[in-house]
Amino acid sequence: MEQLLEILEDIQPDADYAACETLIDDGILDSFAILSIVSELEDTFGIAITPAEIIPENFNSAKALWAMICRLKEEA
Amino acid sequence: MSLISMKFILFVAAAVAGYYLMPKRVQWVWLLLFSYIYYASSGIKLLFFLIYSTLVTYAAGRLLSVVRTSCRDKKKIRKYGRLIIAGGLVLNFGMLAVMKYTNFVILNINSLFGTDLDFVSLLLPLGISFYTFQSTGYMLDVYWGKCDPEKNVLRFALFVSFFPQILQGPIGRYSRLAGQLYTSRSFDFQRIERGIELILWGFFKKMVLADNAGVFVSAIFSDPEKYAGLSVFGVLGYSIQLYGDFSGGMDVVQGIANLFGITLDENFRRPYFARSITDFWHRWHITLGTWMKDYVFYPVSLSGWMSRFGKFAKKRFGKSTGRVLPICLANLIVFLVVGIWHGAAWKYIVYGLYNGMIIAVSGLLGGQYRRWKKALHIAGNPWWYQLFQILRTFILVNISWFFDRADSVPQALYMMKNAVTSFTPSQLLTIPVQQSGSTAMTAAVLVIIAAGCTLLFFVSILKERGVQIRESLAMRPLAVRLAVFLALFFALPCLGQPPSLTGGFIYAQF
Repeated sequence: MEQLLEILEDIQPDADYAACETLIDDGILDSFAILSIVSELEDTFGIAITPAEIIPENFNSAKALWAMICRLKEEA
Repeated sequence: MSLISMKFILFVAAAVAGYYLMPKRVQWVWLLLFSYIYYASSGIKLLFFLIYSTLVTYAAGRLLSVVRTSCRDKKKIRKYGRLIIAGGLVLNFGMLAVMKYTNFVILNINSLFGTDLDFVSLLLPLGISFYTFQSTGYMLDVYWGKCDPEKNVLRFALFVSFFPQILQGPIGRYSRLAGQLYTSRSFDFQRIERGIELILWGFFKKMVLADNAGVFVSAIFSDPEKYAGLSVFGVLGYSIQLYGDFSGGMDVVQGIANLFGITLDENFRRPYFARSITDFWHRWHITLGTWMKDYVFYPVSLSGWMSRFGKFAKKRFGKSTGRVLPICLANLIVFLVVGIWHGAAWKYIVYGLYNGMIIAVSGLLGGQYRRWKKALHIAGNPWWYQLFQILRTFILVNISWFFDRADSVPQALYMMKNAVTSFTPSQLLTIPVQQSGSTAMTAAVLVIIAAGCTLLFFVSILKERGVQIRESLAMRPLAVRLAVFLALFFALPCLGQPPSLTGGFIYAQF
Protein backbone atom coordinates (compact mmCIF):
# COMPACT_ATOMS: atom_id res chain seq x y z
CA MET A 1 0.00 0.00 0.00
CA GLU A 2 2.84 2.41 0.78
CA GLN A 3 4.33 1.77 -2.64
CA LEU A 4 0.96 2.61 -4.20
CA LEU A 5 0.68 5.87 -2.26
CA GLU A 6 4.17 6.83 -3.42
CA ILE A 7 3.20 6.20 -7.06
CA LEU A 8 0.05 8.28 -6.71
CA GLU A 9 1.94 11.16 -5.03
CA ASP A 10 4.56 11.07 -7.76
CA ILE A 11 2.06 11.18 -10.62
CA GLN A 12 -0.47 13.61 -9.23
CA PRO A 13 0.61 15.48 -6.10
CA ASP A 14 -1.71 17.69 -4.02
CA ALA A 15 -4.32 15.08 -3.12
CA ASP A 16 -5.01 13.31 0.16
CA TYR A 17 -4.80 9.75 -1.17
CA ALA A 18 -5.07 8.14 2.24
CA ALA A 19 -8.49 9.65 2.88
CA CYS A 20 -10.04 10.65 -0.48
CA GLU A 21 -12.68 8.27 -1.84
CA THR A 22 -13.82 10.35 -4.82
CA LEU A 23 -10.67 10.59 -6.94
CA ILE A 24 -12.63 10.01 -10.16
CA ASP A 25 -16.00 11.46 -9.16
CA ASP A 26 -14.39 14.79 -8.17
CA GLY A 27 -12.10 14.89 -11.21
CA ILE A 28 -8.87 14.70 -9.15
CA LEU A 29 -7.57 12.02 -11.50
CA ASP A 30 -8.08 12.71 -15.20
CA SER A 31 -7.58 10.19 -18.00
CA PHE A 32 -3.88 11.12 -18.38
CA ALA A 33 -3.29 10.55 -14.67
CA ILE A 34 -5.25 7.28 -14.74
CA LEU A 35 -3.14 5.90 -17.58
CA SER A 36 0.09 7.06 -15.94
CA ILE A 37 -0.97 5.21 -12.79
CA VAL A 38 -1.86 2.11 -14.82
CA SER A 39 1.56 2.16 -16.49
CA GLU A 40 3.35 2.40 -13.12
CA LEU A 41 1.17 -0.27 -11.49
CA GLU A 42 1.83 -2.69 -14.35
CA ASP A 43 5.59 -2.15 -14.04
CA THR A 44 5.73 -2.21 -10.25
CA PHE A 45 3.34 -5.06 -9.45
CA GLY A 46 3.68 -7.12 -12.64
CA ILE A 47 -0.02 -7.06 -13.42
CA ALA A 48 -1.95 -6.44 -16.65
CA ILE A 49 -4.75 -3.92 -16.47
CA THR A 50 -7.36 -4.10 -19.25
CA PRO A 51 -9.81 -1.37 -20.35
CA ALA A 52 -12.56 -3.29 -18.55
CA GLU A 53 -10.82 -2.52 -15.21
CA ILE A 54 -10.84 1.23 -15.80
CA ILE A 55 -14.04 2.05 -13.99
CA PRO A 56 -14.61 4.58 -11.17
CA GLU A 57 -15.13 1.75 -8.64
CA ASN A 58 -11.49 0.72 -9.10
CA PHE A 59 -9.93 4.20 -9.16
CA ASN A 60 -11.97 6.30 -6.74
CA SER A 61 -9.63 5.69 -3.79
CA ALA A 62 -6.22 4.26 -2.95
CA LYS A 63 -8.05 1.50 -1.10
CA ALA A 64 -10.02 0.53 -4.19
CA LEU A 65 -6.87 0.63 -6.30
CA TRP A 66 -5.10 -1.63 -3.82
CA ALA A 67 -8.01 -4.09 -3.88
CA MET A 68 -7.79 -4.20 -7.69
CA ILE A 69 -4.03 -4.79 -7.57
CA CYS A 70 -4.43 -7.67 -5.10
CA ARG A 71 -7.20 -9.22 -7.19
CA LEU A 72 -5.23 -8.99 -10.44
CA LYS A 73 -2.14 -10.44 -8.74
CA GLU A 74 -4.19 -13.42 -7.57
CA GLU A 75 -5.69 -13.93 -11.04
CA ALA A 76 -2.30 -13.71 -12.78
CA MET B 1 -39.01 15.41 -40.35
CA SER B 2 -37.39 18.57 -39.03
CA LEU B 3 -37.37 19.01 -35.27
CA ILE B 4 -38.51 22.61 -35.83
CA SER B 5 -41.81 21.96 -37.55
CA MET B 6 -45.48 21.71 -36.73
CA LYS B 7 -45.42 18.15 -38.10
CA PHE B 8 -42.83 17.15 -35.52
CA ILE B 9 -44.71 18.85 -32.65
CA LEU B 10 -47.84 16.92 -33.61
CA PHE B 11 -45.80 13.73 -33.92
CA VAL B 12 -44.39 14.16 -30.40
CA ALA B 13 -47.84 15.04 -29.02
CA ALA B 14 -49.28 11.84 -30.54
CA ALA B 15 -46.35 9.78 -29.24
CA VAL B 16 -46.75 11.16 -25.69
CA ALA B 17 -50.56 10.84 -25.66
CA GLY B 18 -50.41 7.26 -26.93
CA TYR B 19 -47.61 6.35 -24.52
CA TYR B 20 -49.68 7.19 -21.46
CA LEU B 21 -52.90 5.70 -22.88
CA MET B 22 -51.20 2.38 -23.74
CA PRO B 23 -51.29 -0.59 -21.38
CA LYS B 24 -48.07 -0.15 -19.40
CA ARG B 25 -46.46 -3.40 -20.49
CA VAL B 26 -46.42 -2.29 -24.14
CA GLN B 27 -45.34 1.32 -23.63
CA TRP B 28 -41.84 0.47 -24.86
CA VAL B 29 -43.31 -1.10 -28.02
CA TRP B 30 -45.13 2.17 -28.68
CA LEU B 31 -41.81 4.03 -28.36
CA LEU B 32 -40.19 1.59 -30.78
CA LEU B 33 -43.01 2.04 -33.29
CA PHE B 34 -42.75 5.82 -33.16
CA SER B 35 -38.96 5.68 -33.34
CA TYR B 36 -39.12 3.67 -36.55
CA ILE B 37 -41.86 5.88 -38.01
CA TYR B 38 -39.73 8.91 -37.23
CA TYR B 39 -36.62 7.47 -38.87
CA ALA B 40 -38.58 6.20 -41.88
CA SER B 41 -40.02 9.70 -42.38
CA SER B 42 -36.55 10.73 -43.63
CA GLY B 43 -36.68 8.00 -46.26
CA ILE B 44 -37.91 4.44 -46.05
CA LYS B 45 -34.63 3.12 -47.55
CA LEU B 46 -32.69 4.54 -44.62
CA LEU B 47 -34.32 1.97 -42.35
CA PHE B 48 -32.01 -0.63 -43.89
CA PHE B 49 -28.94 0.99 -42.29
CA LEU B 50 -30.60 1.29 -38.90
CA ILE B 51 -31.78 -2.33 -38.96
CA TYR B 52 -28.36 -3.49 -40.19
CA SER B 53 -26.52 -1.76 -37.34
CA THR B 54 -29.08 -3.06 -34.83
CA LEU B 55 -28.83 -6.67 -36.01
CA VAL B 56 -25.02 -6.70 -36.24
CA THR B 57 -24.56 -5.47 -32.68
CA TYR B 58 -27.42 -7.54 -31.30
CA ALA B 59 -25.95 -10.68 -32.88
CA ALA B 60 -22.48 -9.87 -31.55
CA GLY B 61 -23.89 -9.49 -28.03
CA ARG B 62 -25.78 -12.77 -28.24
CA LEU B 63 -22.79 -14.64 -29.68
CA LEU B 64 -20.55 -13.35 -26.90
CA SER B 65 -23.08 -14.61 -24.40
CA VAL B 66 -23.30 -18.03 -26.08
CA VAL B 67 -19.49 -18.38 -26.09
CA ARG B 68 -19.31 -17.49 -22.40
CA THR B 69 -21.98 -19.95 -21.36
CA SER B 70 -20.96 -22.86 -23.58
CA CYS B 71 -17.17 -22.65 -23.29
CA ARG B 72 -15.19 -23.35 -20.12
CA ASP B 73 -11.68 -22.68 -21.35
CA LYS B 74 -10.79 -19.04 -20.58
CA LYS B 75 -8.32 -18.85 -23.44
CA LYS B 76 -10.94 -20.04 -25.92
CA ILE B 77 -13.49 -17.56 -24.54
CA ARG B 78 -10.95 -14.78 -25.05
CA LYS B 79 -10.07 -15.97 -28.55
CA TYR B 80 -13.66 -16.34 -29.76
CA GLY B 81 -14.64 -13.13 -28.01
CA ARG B 82 -11.96 -11.23 -29.90
CA LEU B 83 -13.10 -12.74 -33.20
CA ILE B 84 -16.72 -11.81 -32.57
CA ILE B 85 -15.87 -8.27 -31.53
CA ALA B 86 -13.53 -7.81 -34.50
CA GLY B 87 -16.27 -9.00 -36.86
CA GLY B 88 -18.83 -6.73 -35.22
CA LEU B 89 -16.52 -3.72 -35.42
CA VAL B 90 -15.65 -4.33 -39.08
CA LEU B 91 -19.29 -4.79 -40.08
CA ASN B 92 -20.59 -1.83 -38.08
CA PHE B 93 -17.83 0.68 -38.80
CA GLY B 94 -17.37 -0.69 -42.31
CA MET B 95 -20.84 0.48 -43.23
CA LEU B 96 -20.24 3.88 -41.64
CA ALA B 97 -16.90 4.22 -43.44
CA VAL B 98 -18.34 3.28 -46.83
CA MET B 99 -21.32 5.61 -46.55
CA LYS B 100 -19.41 8.55 -45.15
CA TYR B 101 -15.88 8.42 -46.52
CA THR B 102 -15.96 6.75 -49.97
CA ASN B 103 -16.07 10.04 -51.88
CA PHE B 104 -13.38 11.57 -49.65
CA VAL B 105 -11.08 8.65 -50.52
CA ILE B 106 -11.89 9.02 -54.24
CA LEU B 107 -11.22 12.78 -54.07
CA ASN B 108 -7.79 12.19 -52.49
CA ILE B 109 -6.88 9.38 -54.91
CA ASN B 110 -7.77 11.67 -57.83
CA SER B 111 -5.69 14.55 -56.52
CA LEU B 112 -2.73 12.33 -55.53
CA PHE B 113 -2.50 10.19 -58.67
CA GLY B 114 -4.15 12.52 -61.20
CA THR B 115 -6.87 9.94 -61.88
CA ASP B 116 -10.41 10.79 -62.84
CA LEU B 117 -12.47 8.36 -60.79
CA ASP B 118 -16.16 9.24 -60.62
CA PHE B 119 -17.74 10.04 -57.30
CA VAL B 120 -20.25 7.53 -56.04
CA SER B 121 -23.79 8.62 -55.35
CA LEU B 122 -24.39 7.46 -51.78
CA LEU B 123 -27.07 8.25 -49.26
CA LEU B 124 -25.77 9.51 -45.95
CA PRO B 125 -28.28 8.04 -43.53
CA LEU B 126 -29.30 10.59 -40.91
CA GLY B 127 -27.71 10.09 -37.53
CA ILE B 128 -25.63 7.12 -38.73
CA SER B 129 -22.56 8.24 -36.74
CA PHE B 130 -24.61 8.51 -33.57
CA TYR B 131 -26.38 5.17 -33.68
CA THR B 132 -23.30 3.36 -34.94
CA PHE B 133 -21.31 4.65 -31.97
CA GLN B 134 -24.10 3.92 -29.51
CA SER B 135 -24.58 0.34 -30.68
CA THR B 136 -20.82 -0.28 -30.88
CA GLY B 137 -20.45 0.95 -27.30
CA TYR B 138 -23.03 -1.64 -26.23
CA MET B 139 -21.14 -4.39 -28.06
CA LEU B 140 -17.86 -3.49 -26.34
CA ASP B 141 -19.54 -3.20 -22.94
CA VAL B 142 -20.86 -6.75 -23.35
CA TYR B 143 -17.39 -7.91 -24.44
CA TRP B 144 -15.78 -6.37 -21.36
CA GLY B 145 -18.51 -7.71 -19.10
CA LYS B 146 -19.77 -4.24 -18.19
CA CYS B 147 -23.35 -5.15 -19.09
CA ASP B 148 -25.40 -8.24 -19.89
CA PRO B 149 -26.50 -8.75 -23.50
CA GLU B 150 -30.11 -7.99 -24.36
CA LYS B 151 -32.06 -11.10 -25.33
CA ASN B 152 -35.07 -9.44 -26.94
CA VAL B 153 -34.14 -8.04 -30.35
CA LEU B 154 -37.06 -5.58 -30.35
CA ARG B 155 -36.09 -4.14 -26.99
CA PHE B 156 -32.55 -3.80 -28.27
CA ALA B 157 -33.88 -2.11 -31.43
CA LEU B 158 -35.47 0.55 -29.23
CA PHE B 159 -32.14 1.20 -27.48
CA VAL B 160 -30.51 1.90 -30.87
CA SER B 161 -33.38 3.88 -32.39
CA PHE B 162 -35.04 5.89 -29.57
CA PHE B 163 -36.33 8.75 -31.72
CA PRO B 164 -35.46 11.91 -29.75
CA GLN B 165 -31.76 11.10 -29.71
CA ILE B 166 -31.19 9.21 -32.96
CA LEU B 167 -30.31 12.22 -35.12
CA GLN B 168 -27.80 14.10 -32.98
CA GLY B 169 -27.26 12.19 -29.78
CA PRO B 170 -26.46 12.23 -26.94
CA ILE B 171 -24.67 8.92 -27.48
CA GLY B 172 -26.31 6.78 -24.82
CA ARG B 173 -24.87 3.94 -22.76
CA TYR B 174 -26.83 0.73 -22.53
CA SER B 175 -26.34 0.45 -18.75
CA ARG B 176 -27.95 3.85 -18.12
CA LEU B 177 -30.49 4.14 -20.93
CA ALA B 178 -31.94 0.71 -21.68
CA GLY B 179 -33.59 0.16 -18.31
CA GLN B 180 -35.29 3.54 -18.53
CA LEU B 181 -36.67 2.78 -21.99
CA TYR B 182 -38.37 -0.42 -20.84
CA THR B 183 -39.76 0.93 -17.55
CA SER B 184 -43.49 1.59 -17.59
CA ARG B 185 -44.82 4.89 -16.28
CA SER B 186 -48.03 6.69 -15.37
CA PHE B 187 -48.92 10.19 -16.55
CA ASP B 188 -47.36 12.95 -14.46
CA PHE B 189 -48.27 16.58 -15.21
CA GLN B 190 -45.12 17.94 -13.57
CA ARG B 191 -42.96 15.75 -15.81
CA ILE B 192 -44.72 17.06 -18.91
CA GLU B 193 -44.40 20.66 -17.74
CA ARG B 194 -40.68 20.32 -17.11
CA GLY B 195 -40.13 18.59 -20.42
CA ILE B 196 -41.92 21.37 -22.33
CA GLU B 197 -39.97 23.98 -20.40
CA LEU B 198 -36.66 22.43 -21.49
CA ILE B 199 -37.86 22.06 -25.09
CA LEU B 200 -38.77 25.77 -25.21
CA TRP B 201 -35.40 26.77 -23.73
CA GLY B 202 -33.67 24.61 -26.33
CA PHE B 203 -35.65 26.18 -29.17
CA PHE B 204 -34.82 29.62 -27.75
CA LYS B 205 -31.09 28.82 -27.90
CA LYS B 206 -31.46 27.42 -31.40
CA MET B 207 -33.81 29.93 -33.06
CA VAL B 208 -33.02 33.16 -31.25
CA LEU B 209 -29.29 32.76 -30.61
CA ALA B 210 -27.88 30.23 -33.07
CA ASP B 211 -29.99 31.06 -36.10
CA ASN B 212 -29.61 34.84 -35.74
CA ALA B 213 -25.84 34.51 -35.26
CA GLY B 214 -25.80 32.06 -38.16
CA VAL B 215 -26.95 34.74 -40.61
CA PHE B 216 -23.81 36.80 -39.91
CA VAL B 217 -21.57 33.73 -39.79
CA SER B 218 -22.78 32.51 -43.19
CA ALA B 219 -22.23 35.92 -44.78
CA ILE B 220 -18.73 36.35 -43.34
CA PHE B 221 -17.50 32.81 -44.04
CA SER B 222 -18.98 32.71 -47.55
CA ASP B 223 -17.11 35.86 -48.59
CA PRO B 224 -14.02 36.16 -46.36
CA GLU B 225 -12.36 38.71 -48.65
CA LYS B 226 -15.26 41.14 -48.66
CA TYR B 227 -15.68 40.76 -44.91
CA ALA B 228 -11.97 40.53 -44.03
CA GLY B 229 -12.42 43.01 -41.17
CA LEU B 230 -15.16 40.87 -39.66
CA SER B 231 -13.22 37.59 -39.36
CA VAL B 232 -13.08 37.85 -35.59
CA PHE B 233 -16.84 38.47 -35.45
CA GLY B 234 -17.35 35.58 -37.83
CA VAL B 235 -15.67 33.14 -35.50
CA LEU B 236 -17.22 34.59 -32.34
CA GLY B 237 -20.59 34.38 -34.06
CA TYR B 238 -19.86 30.77 -34.93
CA SER B 239 -19.01 29.97 -31.32
CA ILE B 240 -22.47 31.33 -30.39
CA GLN B 241 -24.16 29.59 -33.31
CA LEU B 242 -22.60 26.19 -32.73
CA TYR B 243 -23.18 26.21 -28.98
CA GLY B 244 -26.75 27.52 -29.32
CA ASP B 245 -27.52 25.04 -32.08
CA PHE B 246 -26.01 21.92 -30.57
CA SER B 247 -26.74 22.51 -26.88
CA GLY B 248 -30.18 23.89 -27.79
CA GLY B 249 -30.79 20.75 -29.83
CA MET B 250 -29.71 18.66 -26.83
CA ASP B 251 -32.17 20.54 -24.58
CA VAL B 252 -34.97 19.81 -27.06
CA VAL B 253 -33.98 16.14 -27.23
CA GLN B 254 -33.64 15.87 -23.45
CA GLY B 255 -36.96 17.67 -22.99
CA ILE B 256 -38.74 15.24 -25.32
CA ALA B 257 -37.17 12.27 -23.52
CA ASN B 258 -38.31 13.82 -20.21
CA LEU B 259 -41.91 13.77 -21.50
CA PHE B 260 -41.63 9.96 -21.41
CA GLY B 261 -39.92 10.05 -18.01
CA ILE B 262 -36.52 9.26 -19.55
CA THR B 263 -33.32 11.13 -18.67
CA LEU B 264 -30.58 11.09 -21.29
CA ASP B 265 -26.90 11.62 -20.55
CA GLU B 266 -25.76 15.23 -20.22
CA ASN B 267 -23.97 16.46 -23.36
CA PHE B 268 -23.00 20.04 -22.42
CA ARG B 269 -21.85 21.63 -19.17
CA ARG B 270 -21.06 25.32 -19.77
CA PRO B 271 -18.14 24.56 -22.15
CA TYR B 272 -17.03 28.18 -22.57
CA PHE B 273 -16.20 28.28 -18.85
CA ALA B 274 -13.58 25.55 -19.41
CA ARG B 275 -10.11 26.29 -18.01
CA SER B 276 -8.18 24.07 -20.42
CA ILE B 277 -8.80 22.24 -23.68
CA THR B 278 -9.01 18.99 -21.71
CA ASP B 279 -11.63 20.60 -19.49
CA PHE B 280 -13.42 21.88 -22.61
CA TRP B 281 -13.80 18.33 -23.91
CA HIS B 282 -15.17 17.32 -20.52
CA ARG B 283 -17.90 19.93 -21.04
CA TRP B 284 -18.52 19.94 -24.82
CA HIS B 285 -20.21 17.01 -26.55
CA ILE B 286 -19.54 15.05 -23.38
CA THR B 287 -20.99 11.78 -24.60
CA LEU B 288 -18.69 11.73 -27.65
CA GLY B 289 -15.71 12.55 -25.40
CA THR B 290 -16.47 9.80 -22.91
CA TRP B 291 -17.19 7.38 -25.76
CA MET B 292 -13.77 8.12 -27.26
CA LYS B 293 -12.13 7.83 -23.86
CA ASP B 294 -13.68 4.47 -22.97
CA TYR B 295 -13.67 2.78 -26.37
CA VAL B 296 -10.62 4.26 -28.14
CA PHE B 297 -8.29 6.07 -25.73
CA TYR B 298 -8.06 3.41 -23.01
CA PRO B 299 -7.94 0.38 -25.34
CA VAL B 300 -5.27 2.01 -27.55
CA SER B 301 -3.24 3.17 -24.53
CA LEU B 302 -3.37 -0.28 -22.95
CA SER B 303 -2.69 -2.24 -26.14
CA GLY B 304 0.40 -4.43 -26.40
CA TRP B 305 2.18 -2.27 -28.99
CA MET B 306 1.57 0.87 -26.97
CA SER B 307 2.91 -0.86 -23.88
CA ARG B 308 6.09 -1.79 -25.82
CA PHE B 309 6.38 1.81 -27.02
CA GLY B 310 6.01 2.95 -23.39
CA LYS B 311 8.86 0.71 -22.26
CA PHE B 312 11.06 2.00 -25.08
CA ALA B 313 10.14 5.63 -24.27
CA LYS B 314 10.93 5.17 -20.56
CA LYS B 315 14.40 3.85 -21.42
CA ARG B 316 15.02 6.55 -24.00
CA PHE B 317 13.50 9.65 -22.38
CA GLY B 318 13.36 8.81 -18.68
CA LYS B 319 10.59 7.60 -16.44
CA SER B 320 8.43 10.70 -16.30
CA THR B 321 8.39 11.66 -20.01
CA GLY B 322 8.43 8.04 -21.13
CA ARG B 323 5.31 7.38 -19.08
CA VAL B 324 3.37 10.24 -20.68
CA LEU B 325 4.54 9.85 -24.31
CA PRO B 326 2.40 6.80 -25.18
CA ILE B 327 -0.60 8.51 -23.60
CA CYS B 328 0.04 11.58 -25.77
CA LEU B 329 0.25 9.38 -28.85
CA ALA B 330 -3.00 7.61 -27.96
CA ASN B 331 -4.57 11.00 -27.37
CA LEU B 332 -3.51 12.16 -30.85
CA ILE B 333 -5.06 9.02 -32.33
CA VAL B 334 -8.30 9.75 -30.46
CA PHE B 335 -8.49 13.30 -31.77
CA LEU B 336 -7.67 12.13 -35.26
CA VAL B 337 -10.72 9.88 -34.98
CA VAL B 338 -12.75 12.79 -33.53
CA GLY B 339 -11.73 14.88 -36.55
CA ILE B 340 -12.64 12.14 -39.02
CA TRP B 341 -15.92 11.58 -37.17
CA HIS B 342 -16.83 15.23 -37.73
CA GLY B 343 -16.61 14.88 -41.48
CA ALA B 344 -14.85 13.64 -44.57
CA ALA B 345 -12.55 16.60 -45.14
CA TRP B 346 -8.98 17.57 -44.29
CA LYS B 347 -10.14 20.60 -42.34
CA TYR B 348 -11.81 18.28 -39.81
CA ILE B 349 -8.65 16.20 -39.50
CA VAL B 350 -6.67 19.40 -38.81
CA TYR B 351 -9.37 20.43 -36.33
CA GLY B 352 -9.02 17.12 -34.48
CA LEU B 353 -5.23 17.08 -34.50
CA TYR B 354 -5.10 20.72 -33.33
CA ASN B 355 -7.10 19.76 -30.22
CA GLY B 356 -5.08 16.58 -29.74
CA MET B 357 -1.76 18.43 -30.00
CA ILE B 358 -2.73 21.00 -27.37
CA ILE B 359 -3.83 18.29 -24.93
CA ALA B 360 -0.72 16.21 -25.65
CA VAL B 361 1.62 19.16 -25.08
CA SER B 362 -0.26 20.08 -21.88
CA GLY B 363 0.19 16.49 -20.69
CA LEU B 364 3.91 16.53 -21.43
CA LEU B 365 4.41 19.91 -19.76
CA GLY B 366 2.20 19.17 -16.74
CA GLY B 367 5.13 19.13 -14.28
CA GLN B 368 6.66 22.20 -15.89
CA TYR B 369 3.39 24.15 -15.49
CA ARG B 370 3.37 23.33 -11.77
CA ARG B 371 6.95 24.63 -11.45
CA TRP B 372 6.15 27.83 -13.38
CA LYS B 373 3.13 28.45 -11.18
CA LYS B 374 5.28 28.02 -8.07
CA ALA B 375 7.98 30.34 -9.45
CA LEU B 376 5.35 33.02 -10.15
CA HIS B 377 4.04 32.61 -6.56
CA ILE B 378 0.54 31.65 -7.72
CA ALA B 379 -0.90 29.70 -4.83
CA GLY B 380 -4.06 27.67 -5.42
CA ASN B 381 -6.46 29.00 -8.03
CA PRO B 382 -7.19 32.69 -7.40
CA TRP B 383 -10.11 34.17 -9.39
CA TRP B 384 -7.89 36.16 -11.74
CA TYR B 385 -5.89 33.05 -12.62
CA GLN B 386 -9.09 31.13 -13.33
CA LEU B 387 -10.31 34.01 -15.50
CA PHE B 388 -7.01 34.00 -17.39
CA GLN B 389 -7.37 30.24 -17.96
CA ILE B 390 -10.96 30.62 -19.18
CA LEU B 391 -10.06 33.40 -21.65
CA ARG B 392 -6.99 31.51 -22.88
CA THR B 393 -9.08 28.38 -23.47
CA PHE B 394 -11.83 30.39 -25.19
CA ILE B 395 -9.28 31.83 -27.63
CA LEU B 396 -7.80 28.38 -28.32
CA VAL B 397 -11.29 26.97 -28.91
CA ASN B 398 -12.15 29.80 -31.30
CA ILE B 399 -9.01 29.07 -33.31
CA SER B 400 -10.28 25.51 -33.72
CA TRP B 401 -13.68 26.84 -34.87
CA PHE B 402 -11.96 28.49 -37.85
CA PHE B 403 -11.00 25.00 -39.09
CA ASP B 404 -14.42 23.62 -38.29
CA ARG B 405 -16.44 26.32 -40.07
CA ALA B 406 -14.25 27.43 -42.96
CA ASP B 407 -14.58 25.68 -46.32
CA SER B 408 -10.95 24.58 -46.28
CA VAL B 409 -7.73 24.76 -44.25
CA PRO B 410 -6.29 27.62 -46.43
CA GLN B 411 -9.49 29.62 -45.92
CA ALA B 412 -9.30 29.01 -42.15
CA LEU B 413 -5.68 30.23 -42.06
CA TYR B 414 -6.55 33.26 -44.23
CA MET B 415 -9.38 34.23 -41.88
CA MET B 416 -7.18 33.70 -38.82
CA LYS B 417 -4.67 36.13 -40.26
CA ASN B 418 -7.44 38.66 -40.95
CA ALA B 419 -8.74 38.24 -37.41
CA VAL B 420 -5.57 39.84 -36.06
CA THR B 421 -4.72 42.23 -38.90
CA SER B 422 -8.08 43.65 -39.98
CA PHE B 423 -10.92 45.00 -37.85
CA THR B 424 -13.96 46.87 -39.21
CA PRO B 425 -16.90 46.16 -36.87
CA SER B 426 -19.13 48.78 -38.56
CA GLN B 427 -19.29 46.44 -41.57
CA LEU B 428 -21.58 44.20 -39.49
CA LEU B 429 -24.41 46.67 -40.19
CA THR B 430 -24.07 46.05 -43.92
CA ILE B 431 -25.01 42.37 -43.63
CA PRO B 432 -28.64 41.76 -44.61
CA VAL B 433 -30.63 39.65 -42.16
CA GLN B 434 -33.84 39.38 -44.14
CA GLN B 435 -34.56 37.29 -47.19
CA SER B 436 -35.28 40.46 -49.18
CA GLY B 437 -31.66 41.52 -48.70
CA SER B 438 -32.65 44.48 -46.56
CA THR B 439 -30.37 45.66 -43.74
CA ALA B 440 -33.19 47.55 -41.98
CA MET B 441 -33.33 44.95 -39.18
CA THR B 442 -29.60 44.21 -38.93
CA ALA B 443 -28.94 46.42 -35.89
CA ALA B 444 -32.02 45.04 -34.15
CA VAL B 445 -30.89 41.45 -34.72
CA LEU B 446 -27.45 42.28 -33.32
CA VAL B 447 -29.13 43.67 -30.19
CA ILE B 448 -31.24 40.48 -29.93
CA ILE B 449 -28.10 38.33 -30.15
CA ALA B 450 -26.34 40.44 -27.50
CA ALA B 451 -29.37 40.30 -25.18
CA GLY B 452 -29.75 36.54 -25.73
CA CYS B 453 -26.06 35.96 -24.99
CA THR B 454 -26.32 38.06 -21.82
CA LEU B 455 -29.30 35.97 -20.65
CA LEU B 456 -27.48 32.74 -21.48
CA PHE B 457 -24.35 33.99 -19.71
CA PHE B 458 -26.20 34.70 -16.45
CA VAL B 459 -28.11 31.42 -16.61
CA SER B 460 -24.77 29.63 -17.15
CA ILE B 461 -23.12 31.43 -14.22
CA LEU B 462 -26.01 30.44 -11.94
CA LYS B 463 -25.75 26.82 -13.10
CA GLU B 464 -21.98 26.86 -12.69
CA ARG B 465 -22.52 27.98 -9.10
CA GLY B 466 -24.82 25.04 -8.53
CA VAL B 467 -28.14 26.91 -8.61
CA GLN B 468 -30.91 24.52 -9.69
CA ILE B 469 -32.81 26.90 -11.97
CA ARG B 470 -35.46 24.46 -13.17
CA GLU B 471 -36.06 23.21 -9.63
CA SER B 472 -36.51 26.72 -8.26
CA LEU B 473 -38.81 27.64 -11.16
CA ALA B 474 -40.91 24.57 -10.42
CA MET B 475 -41.52 25.92 -6.89
CA ARG B 476 -42.85 29.29 -8.17
CA PRO B 477 -46.62 29.96 -8.49
CA LEU B 478 -48.35 28.80 -11.66
CA ALA B 479 -48.70 32.41 -12.93
CA VAL B 480 -44.90 32.91 -12.83
CA ARG B 481 -44.23 29.59 -14.57
CA LEU B 482 -46.82 30.41 -17.21
CA ALA B 483 -45.25 33.83 -17.79
CA VAL B 484 -41.83 32.22 -18.36
CA PHE B 485 -43.38 29.66 -20.72
CA LEU B 486 -45.21 32.32 -22.72
CA ALA B 487 -42.16 34.61 -22.85
CA LEU B 488 -40.05 31.79 -24.28
CA PHE B 489 -42.83 30.65 -26.61
CA PHE B 490 -43.45 34.09 -28.12
CA ALA B 491 -39.72 34.88 -28.28
CA LEU B 492 -39.31 32.15 -30.90
CA PRO B 493 -41.37 33.64 -33.75
CA CYS B 494 -40.82 37.28 -32.68
CA LEU B 495 -37.04 37.21 -32.13
CA GLY B 496 -35.83 34.12 -34.00
CA GLN B 497 -35.19 33.41 -37.65
CA PRO B 498 -37.91 31.48 -39.50
CA PRO B 499 -36.93 27.78 -39.65
CA SER B 500 -37.64 27.72 -43.40
CA LEU B 501 -34.59 29.96 -43.91
CA THR B 502 -32.13 28.40 -41.50
CA GLY B 503 -32.54 24.66 -41.99
CA GLY B 504 -32.23 22.08 -39.26
CA PHE B 505 -29.68 21.39 -36.58
CA ILE B 506 -26.01 21.36 -37.60
CA TYR B 507 -25.12 18.09 -35.87
CA ALA B 508 -28.04 16.21 -37.43
CA GLN B 509 -25.83 15.99 -40.54
CA PHE B 510 -23.31 13.78 -38.77
